[in-house]
Amino acid sequence: MNELMLKLRNLKVIFPAGEGIISAVEGIDLDILKGECVALVGESGCGKSVTSLAIMKLLNTPPALIRVDELKLDDEELKDYSDGKMQELRGKTLSMIFQDAMTALNPVMTIGKQIDEIYLRHNKMSRSEARRLTVRALELVGVPEAKSRANSFPHQLSGGMRQRVLIAMAFACMPKLIIADEPTTALDVTIQAQVLNVLSDMQKKHKVSLLLITHDLSVVANMADTVYVMYSGKIVEKASKRDLFTRPHHPYTEGLLGSVPRLSDEHHHFIQIPDSVPHPMFKPKGCYFHPRCRYATIECSEKMPPLEKIDHQREVRCFHPLNLGGKK
Amino acid sequence: MKIKMKKIGITIGKKIIAIFKGVGRFIAKLWRHPKGRIGLIIVTILIVSAVFAPLIAPFDPYDVTQRAQKGLSPSWNHLLGTTITTGQDIFSMLIYGTRVSLAVGLITGITLAFLGAIMGIIAGYVGGIPDTLIMRTVDVMLVIPTLPLTIVLTNLFGKSYLMIIFIFVLFGWTGMARVIRSLVLVLKNANYVKAAELAGASRWHIMIKHILPGVSHLIIMNTALTCAGIMVAEAGLSFLGLGDPTAISWGKMLAEAQSGGALLFGHWWWIIAPGIGIFLSVFSFMRIGLVMEEVLNPRMKQSSNIYKIFKNLNNQYLDEVFAGMDEKAILGIQTTKEGERV
Amino acid sequence: MQKSFIIKRILYAFFIFLIVMTLNFFIPRIGVSDPAERYYPPQGNMTEIEYEIIKQVTREQYGFDVSTVQQFINYVDGLLHGDLGTSFQPGNPKVSHLIAERLPWTLVLSVTNLIISLFIGLIIGTIAAWKRGRWQDTTLLNLSTISTALPAFFIALILSFYLGFEKELFPAYTNPNMVSQFDWSWESIKVVMYNAALPIISMSIGGIIGYGQGTRNAVIAVTNEDFILTARAKGLSRNQVIFKHTLRNAMLPIVTSLGMSISGLIGGAVIIEQIFNWNGMGTLFLNANNTNDYPLMMGVMLFMSAFAIVANLVTELCYSLLDPRVTVGERR
Repeated sequence: MNELMLKLRNLKVIFPAGEGIISAVEGIDLDILKGECVALVGESGCGKSVTSLAIMKLLNTPPALIRVDELKLDDEELKDYSDGKMQELRGKTLSMIFQDAMTALNPVMTIGKQIDEIYLRHNKMSRSEARRLTVRALELVGVPEAKSRANSFPHQLSGGMRQRVLIAMAFACMPKLIIADEPTTALDVTIQAQVLNVLSDMQKKHKVSLLLITHDLSVVANMADTVYVMYSGKIVEKASKRDLFTRPHHPYTEGLLGSVPRLSDEHHHFIQIPDSVPHPMFKPKGCYFHPRCRYATIECSEKMPPLEKIDHQREVRCFHPLNLGGKK
Repeated sequence: MKIKMKKIGITIGKKIIAIFKGVGRFIAKLWRHPKGRIGLIIVTILIVSAVFAPLIAPFDPYDVTQRAQKGLSPSWNHLLGTTITTGQDIFSMLIYGTRVSLAVGLITGITLAFLGAIMGIIAGYVGGIPDTLIMRTVDVMLVIPTLPLTIVLTNLFGKSYLMIIFIFVLFGWTGMARVIRSLVLVLKNANYVKAAELAGASRWHIMIKHILPGVSHLIIMNTALTCAGIMVAEAGLSFLGLGDPTAISWGKMLAEAQSGGALLFGHWWWIIAPGIGIFLSVFSFMRIGLVMEEVLNPRMKQSSNIYKIFKNLNNQYLDEVFAGMDEKAILGIQTTKEGERV
Repeated sequence: MQKSFIIKRILYAFFIFLIVMTLNFFIPRIGVSDPAERYYPPQGNMTEIEYEIIKQVTREQYGFDVSTVQQFINYVDGLLHGDLGTSFQPGNPKVSHLIAERLPWTLVLSVTNLIISLFIGLIIGTIAAWKRGRWQDTTLLNLSTISTALPAFFIALILSFYLGFEKELFPAYTNPNMVSQFDWSWESIKVVMYNAALPIISMSIGGIIGYGQGTRNAVIAVTNEDFILTARAKGLSRNQVIFKHTLRNAMLPIVTSLGMSISGLIGGAVIIEQIFNWNGMGTLFLNANNTNDYPLMMGVMLFMSAFAIVANLVTELCYSLLDPRVTVGERR
């Protein structure tokens, strides 16, 4: 059962620019099991969205340059697939939910037509058949009066409804892997919870693998099984959700968790991370996080720490990992 | 009293210096851009030839008495030959023609930008009845055919460049106002404007201190482009003979060339000369406008250069960059370092 | 909702027409107390009494012998009956007759020009957007700065010089018998095409490049939109993405500029018509100006404005069909 759905090895993405090279993703590995929800967490600008687009092979070259050692979806190597072949897979075996449903939906097309397209593209069926499936897909994500709503344009729906439409689109062909790029960031908090519930239910019910890209740890706490923490284009920590929240190893993870208020420990102050993510063109020498790290030593400023395996599930990229309890 | 006057004088002086500094910085920015530099050089040449036309022009372009010199081909004496009908020196006419084109273009462009910006800001920021009134006026102006109306008005009130400038301003501000208005509608909801409103700043204060700086780049850019458009339109009106009948302008030169038989006798230089004048003046102003768009909107520049960058990429360097990201490389560096220690 | 939107736009267009119509009535009356003085200015060799008599005749002939309000009512009444006024031309023909005579000839030029510009421009623009940043695109960009700096009438002069006089490929002046001899026979149509070649070429050079650049910008703007990424993520083929999602959205700004071109169809070729001596609305208007034929000038102006209003209205309605957001949101 514990078979790999996505096996990503050593993904590197750079953007050559006039003044230098922007290295967005610097050699990351990702493993997603079947039916698992993996969260990729990081601040904005750390390369999470680029990673997701690279997995979908939706990055344009130019401006991006991509190298990857392995990109296996359910043991199918996608690395060398042409765009034409990827078109067959996208929407059918892997699909994507975008951040802002207002801009991610075509404003001059009814949502029904936009979902019909997926069915018509990937199956041989009539338009009415496609529409029947569309209405069912909309009903599944909790769009009321799906039949008439299918004929409305995106601007006629509320933000939550639009996001549900995007989810319906992603699940339309029941793909093996869905990548959700900040699926709830653009929404109000109350609507966020509803949409997350829909997403979570759909994922569990249909046993789809989900790669959840977010900067919001509360979303992670609700949904993820395994968490990857990304910083400035590199994975700095990998852990199961429980381990990550109880015993973070990387100072950056600790900082991320520290910036989330918790009612349980009132005496605790926010742990702040000073400054912000380094500009992808001018990354510091040594560990990328060291200028912001309060545990940094001279060693950290000289060389990049390797990603070390702590146990079978955990990996951390730090010379001085926290909360190890004498393991090292 | 005297001290107060002095103070005011100083503040005004400072303001003027600040404006000059701003203009200087702006020109420096244009100069650094290769395309902007071309525009600046051409504009400078045009301004110099307009101001010093009597010194540069080898002959008196108004002199129509040189019967013996009619219809000469280009020579060292007459660089662009003479006209077939009156024997005027075409090169001198070309130099003098700069005056009309630049004067009409700049005066109209600046007045129109001023008026359009005010209207656009008021319509966008104040909204309500002023907005409705201004936008209705814009709609009316849009449907009235400009060229025929210009012809009617010059017929009624006499042909002069003042009339032409007046009509251009009357009709031209609408475009500027629409562009500015749509940006102001966006700025209106910006947080700093809201903050100023909450702090109790007056409408005028907000419009001048907060909105105007926000749209100023758009105004400057559009002014350069409008000046270019106005110069084309001026040439067209002069071609139809609606300008000042006594002045020398490129449009009128073209009309004279056509009616004077330049086409028939193969005197192509008589047509090309004013055409080049029109082309250079319009081209330089457009270049400046477009470069400003690029300078103020750096994203456009990047996307247009990306293919050049990709062509010039060094593969070996890229391989190194990619290799440096490998986990093996990180580990490798570490082992050698540790090896050294041992 | 759709219906009320249409009615609103029609009413608004009518309102604009009323304003333009009123302006049109008052413009020739600016600066003179008696319009007859404008219609028939005093001549040098005329005595006071003679001029009075002439003015009286003019007043009666053109209905200036009643109050201004009554004149306005009569003017509106005339318009309602399709009467745009009476020309000074010998035989005092109706302005509407003169327009009807000339309009097709102008449309031959401007409509052909528009179709050519739009068609070739769309193709060129899509190619440039497709080959963004490569030589096809940069060439178009450079051509567009050059062509805006070269007014159409200058291009027309160069063409009539080179192709007309030097190479004698096409006539540099329109054959004066073209209009009178036109009888819908293939021969006469060929004559028209032969004579119209240079005017149309000189107009459409700028038009093609303008529409090309406009299309290019619109297509690129849409390509950067998120929903194109969504469409690709759905697995749609390249052609589906281009034709179903990109072009459909890129059409919106093009429809706007197309509307502007259409509203300028009648009055946009004045200088070109003058250069090639083409027998259209432009030359009609310029001749009216030379003979101070005010009724004719104002009639043509009003006709052009009305045409522009209708063109704008149709464009707006077409736009709302293409973009469902329009009916709900703010105008424009």
